[in-house]
Amino acid sequence: MKLVLDNLTKEFGGFVAVDHINLTMTNGVYGLLGVNGAGKTTLMRMLCTLLNPTGGGIYYDGKDIFQMAGEYRNLLGYLPQDFGFYPEFSVKDYLLYIAAIKGIRPVAARKRAKDLIVRVGLTEAADKKLKKLSGGMKRRVGIAQAMLNNPQILILDEPTAGLDPNERIRFRNLISELSEERFVLLSTHIVSDIEYIANEILMMKDGAIVNEGTLDEIISTMPEKVWNCIVPQQSVSAMTKKYKISNMKSENQGVDLRIISAEKPCETAVCVHPSLEDVFLYYFGEKVGDHNDTL
Amino acid sequence: MIIMTRFELKKIFSKPVNKIVLILLVVSLCVVSHFAIGSVGYVDENGERSTGIAAASALREAKNKWAGSITDDVLQKVLEENALINNSEEYLSTDVIEKNKAYSKKQGFSDIREMINRAFGGFQEYNYYRADSVTPEEINSFYSRRTANLIEWLNSDEQESRYSEQEKQFLIAQYEKLETPFYYDDVDGWEALLEYAPTITMLVVLITGFLVSGIFSDEIQLKADSVFFSARFGRNKAIAAKIKAGFIVVTLIYWIMILLYSGIVLAVLGIGGADQAIQIGFANWKSFYNITYLQDYLLTVWGGYLGNLFILFLSMLVSAKTRSKALAVTIPFILLFLPSFLSGISVLSEILGLLPDQLLQVCTAIKTFNLYQIGTKIVGSVPIIFAMYCILFCVVLPVLYQVYRKTE
Repeated sequence: MKLVLDNLTKEFGGFVAVDHINLTMTNGVYGLLGVNGAGKTTLMRMLCTLLNPTGGGIYYDGKDIFQMAGEYRNLLGYLPQDFGFYPEFSVKDYLLYIAAIKGIRPVAARKRAKDLIVRVGLTEAADKKLKKLSGGMKRRVGIAQAMLNNPQILILDEPTAGLDPNERIRFRNLISELSEERFVLLSTHIVSDIEYIANEILMMKDGAIVNEGTLDEIISTMPEKVWNCIVPQQSVSAMTKKYKISNMKSENQGVDLRIISAEKPCETAVCVHPSLEDVFLYYFGEKVGDHNDTL
Repeated sequence: MIIMTRFELKKIFSKPVNKIVLILLVVSLCVVSHFAIGSVGYVDENGERSTGIAAASALREAKNKWAGSITDDVLQKVLEENALINNSEEYLSTDVIEKNKAYSKKQGFSDIREMINRAFGGFQEYNYYRADSVTPEEINSFYSRRTANLIEWLNSDEQESRYSEQEKQFLIAQYEKLETPFYYDDVDGWEALLEYAPTITMLVVLITGFLVSGIFSDEIQLKADSVFFSARFGRNKAIAAKIKAGFIVVTLIYWIMILLYSGIVLAVLGIGGADQAIQIGFANWKSFYNITYLQDYLLTVWGGYLGNLFILFLSMLVSAKTRSKALAVTIPFILLFLPSFLSGISVLSEILGLLPDQLLQVCTAIKTFNLYQIGTKIVGSVPIIFAMYCILFCVVLPVLYQVYRKTE
């Protein structure tokens, strides 16, 4: 299975949301990282044939996915960022309806829906109306519908957004379980989710992929170092204006700062191993004060 | 496809607001049936007016005494009976109850008496007492007066330029084609049924509009469109299932409502007179459509169905295109009420005669004198609107499919 994005571009009335992306993806979990408005959702919607590109194309094993139409969508599972549903439908009814529009035969659909309901932990809620479910449960219904056709391509747009830590961990593990032998593209701005489950990371900014690779490869691309130091409270303001601060924690003896900088920021600073969050901040973050911020 | 359609129907009928809409439909049916039944009243020998099954039955009995061909002899007899009652104490009394008692004796032949009023009044005039002054000599010209009135009207200053010579000849020929003498039968059931049929049809289209206008836009409003369109059949069979569900809802609701309405009204008021010419009825005297009450009913209900289909699918098209249920719901209201606002503009009468609201009131359209020339043939508006909206409905379906298919 090979999915190729060839010079893929999407413009909305002069605004370039996706800017000439060239990418080849195969099986595995791809984490798409980027700030809000980077173009992640637009890219994913094109991968789901929901939006037509204004330039370039997307090819599945050499075939244009927009030409493949239903044949391609048969391989696809999609959980959108704004997962909408039919409030009066029960979980079971909803899954059976989606199974029908996915072209799954009724007998197989019933079996598959039942299995997935168990797998996502919604057995007791199977007959409940969707409008009565919690946010986390709705997301689980979302992943279940995406998995109904056992898709080779699974696209998940911000699947853990708005979930509490327990639900998030549970959901993350579920995605890990489901990701075997398929292509999964997972978009989020919760960096730790990507860190835990993605094999490949794609960093997106202003509609373009600015960095890609494994976690270690991505981290190694950062030319600056990460430092830990404890500074007095009164120095914090100056430090935040001068450096990118990836973390700040008040301690008894001062403030513990995690700083991204090419140079040693202070005498007591200790160089530490960078995390994906540091890299994210390095590429996408802004130093406090860059735009006269006072925070 | 069947399963998809079943779920589409479930989406529609599971919504709480749509359950209220269904209740509204039932209430509308009860109210309109009540008015239709109440429009037929019987005045007994004590001058008391009553409605309902017993009243309709009593009136039918009184009228059936006059059933048969309306020959000159029958007309003479009507004049005699009428004159006899007019000279009675009850009729000459100033007391309303006494007058009602006199009327109770006229009920049996009141329809024939009305025909005499129509025949001997002017084409555009109506005088309830005209029959009282018609002489036995005059009554022999009863049938020829109908055509004579038409000719007089066509040659009047106001109508001189409205119709071409060919159109005038068409109307006269239609009048002359009407078989005489008329056969009289009690047609109160059909009259009442047809009088309120446009009301029930219009209520159905307006209320059903709330049910179907969300079929397409709700996916987007509920943000369920991404999953829908990214599914294998999301851009073909699932859309066809939506169209099918819309068709089923429009069809089922319309026919259930219209058949229940017809059944209730005809069961109470009687089904007699189905084969009689519509011209024996007060409101249809001038119609140039030579059809029976049953044909009028069939045209009205099938026209109503076609009108429902066209208007509601247009509403669905607007819903699919604009993604707005609110806008889609207004379409039936606009199509139904806009012609009423424009009806005062006489130059628009020919255009207004072809608007889809006419399909919802074919029994009213057959009373109008809108004529159209197709090639060398002159036709009334009714056959044109049937043909035109059949074609337009067939055009709307693929357009709706394509519009929704291309949704991004």
